[in-house]
Amino acid sequence: MQKTEIAVIGAGPAGLAAAIEAARAGAQVTLIDENERPGGQLFKQIHKFFGSKEHRAGTRGVEIGVDLLEEAKRVGVITRLNTVVYGLYHDKCLGLACGDHSEDLQTQAIILATGASENVLAFPGWTLPGVMGAGAAQTLINIHRVLPGRRILMVGAGNVGLIVTYQLLQAGAEVVAIIEGLPVIGGYGVHASKVRRAGVPILTSHTIVSAEGGESVERAVIAQVDNRWQVLCGTEQTLEVDTVCLAVGLSPLAELAWMAGCRFSHVPTLGGWVPLHDQDMQTSVPGIYIAGDVAGIEEASTAMEEGRLAGLAAAGTLCHLSPEVGEIKKSEVRDRLAALRWGGFGEGRAVAKRQIIEARCEA
Amino acid sequence: MRVDVHPILGNAPTGKSIILLVDGRPIKAIEGEPIAAALLASGRRVLRHTARHGEPRGLFCALGRCTDCVMTVDGQPNVRTCVTPARDGMVIESQVGLGRWKHLPLEKEE
Amino acid sequence: MEDDLLICRCEEVTRSEVEEAIRMGLRTVNEIKRFTRAGFGLCQGKTCGRLICDILIREADMAPSEVLPGTSRPPVRPIPTRVLANRVSKEDE
Repeated sequence: MQKTEIAVIGAGPAGLAAAIEAARAGAQVTLIDENERPGGQLFKQIHKFFGSKEHRAGTRGVEIGVDLLEEAKRVGVITRLNTVVYGLYHDKCLGLACGDHSEDLQTQAIILATGASENVLAFPGWTLPGVMGAGAAQTLINIHRVLPGRRILMVGAGNVGLIVTYQLLQAGAEVVAIIEGLPVIGGYGVHASKVRRAGVPILTSHTIVSAEGGESVERAVIAQVDNRWQVLCGTEQTLEVDTVCLAVGLSPLAELAWMAGCRFSHVPTLGGWVPLHDQDMQTSVPGIYIAGDVAGIEEASTAMEEGRLAGLAAAGTLCHLSPEVGEIKKSEVRDRLAALRWGGFGEGRAVAKRQIIEARCEA
Repeated sequence: MRVDVHPILGNAPTGKSIILLVDGRPIKAIEGEPIAAALLASGRRVLRHTARHGEPRGLFCALGRCTDCVMTVDGQPNVRTCVTPARDGMVIESQVGLGRWKHLPLEKEE
Repeated sequence: MEDDLLICRCEEVTRSEVEEAIRMGLRTVNEIKRFTRAGFGLCQGKTCGRLICDILIREADMAPSEVLPGTSRPPVRPIPTRVLANRVSKEDE
C-alpha cells in the first residue's frame, strides 16, 4: 500500500497553503485534487483582494494561485491531480480513484481542505438549462472563456453575486439586474457601487418567481417580497433573460469529515454544519485537520491562513517542528487570522469561530 | 459565445482545435476544455433529458457535483461533461435518464 | 403549479412528495431519501440535500441544528464500478 505522512485533500488556497507549510517543516506531503488543474476557486478570482499588505491586498487571486503552485513545487509537495478521494476509512486510510483504477493511501495525518458547494433556490423552472450556479458561470467565463448566456439575471447580492456580476460584464455579457430577497445588500459596498456604476440595478426585497422557456431559459419573472418572503401581488415583472445565476450562499463541503466521524456544530454564520475544530484546526478525530471553507465559509485570505495553521500543526504532531518553534509560528498565523476577522463583516465570523473552538475543547 | 478578448485576462489562450461528434453532428472544440464548455460555445444548452418527465437539463454546477450535465461519451453513459476534457474525435450523445451502455465495458477486456 | 416544484433533480422528486413523507412522520433526510428516493440519484443528494433540510425545518417545525444531512458514504463522487474494482496496489518507491 502507498504511504504518505500528510495527505492534504483539495488544492485550493487552504490546501495549497497547508501543503506548503507542512512540507517546509520537513513532512512528506501528498496534495490531492479531483480537478485537472490545482488552485481550487483561486483561478476564478480575477478581482483584487482586500486586506492588509501581508495578506496580498491589491493582488488578484489568479496571481496568488500561481505563486502558491510554484512554492508547493519548490518545497517538494507531491501533487496528484485528477484524483478523487472517494472515501476516508478508519486509521486514516484514503480510497483514491484515478483514471481507470483505484488505490489506497495510508496516511498519518489528513488535512481536509475540500472547500464549499453552492446553495440553490428551488423555484418553478429552476431545472431549465440556463439556470446555473453563479460559481458555474464564473468558471465558464474566467477559466474556460465561454459565456453562459447573453442576458443574465443574478439572484443574490452577497459578495459572490456582486463579483460574478461584474466579471460577467467584463466577459461581455449583459446583466439585466441583481435581485436580493433581503431588504439590504449582503456584499461589500465597494463591489455594490462598482456594479451600480456599470449600470446594473440591484433590487432588494425581490425574489425570483419562475424561470420560463421551452427547452431553455427565455425569460424570468421576479417580484417584490415582504419581510416574511411573501410575494407582494401585482409587483411581478418579466425580464427577458436567457440565463439565471444563483448566488444564494455556500455550504461547507464536509462529506469526508462526516465519514471520518468528526463532531459537527450547526453555525448559520459559517454556512451551516461545520466540523468542530481546535485552535490548531484539528477536528474531534485526532490527526484529522480542516482548513478553509470546509471549516466555515469565509474568504480566500482566511482559508490560506487556516491552511498554514493546519499544516504547521500536522507537521508538529509528526515531530517535524519542535513544540516551541511550532507554537511561535502558529501564534503568528493566529494573529493574522484575527486581523482578517475584523470589522462589520469579520466580527460575526470571529465570534462563531471562537464558539466552534470552545465547543471542540469541551467535547 | 467565446470570450476571446478580456480586459483583465487578455486574449484567450490559443489551444489545439479539434472536432467532436455530437449526436452525429461535428462541432469545433478546443482540446482539453470540458465537453460542456465546448457545447455551450457551439450554442448548445440542452445536454440530456430526464427519465420521468423528459425535461431538458443543462450545465448547472460546472464542478462535477450535480451530475445534471451527464451525456454518453464514446459509448459510456453518465459521463459528467463539465469535468471531462474534450479529445479529438470523441463521440458524444445526449441521453435520456441514466442512458444505456453502447457496449458493455467487460466485453472489451480479454 | 407550485406543488409540483422539483426538489431532487436526479430522481425528479417533488416538494409535495417530500412534504407527504414528512406528514407521514418521517423526520430525517435519510428516511425521506429511502421513502421518496430524493437524494438516491447519480449525485447522491448533493443539490437537494440542503433543500430537504430546509423543508424539514419548515414543515416539521424543527430547529436547523436538529436536522442532520444525509449519511455520507463512499464513493463521494460517481465513480464507475470498474474503477473501484480495478484496485492497484503500488509499492513504495
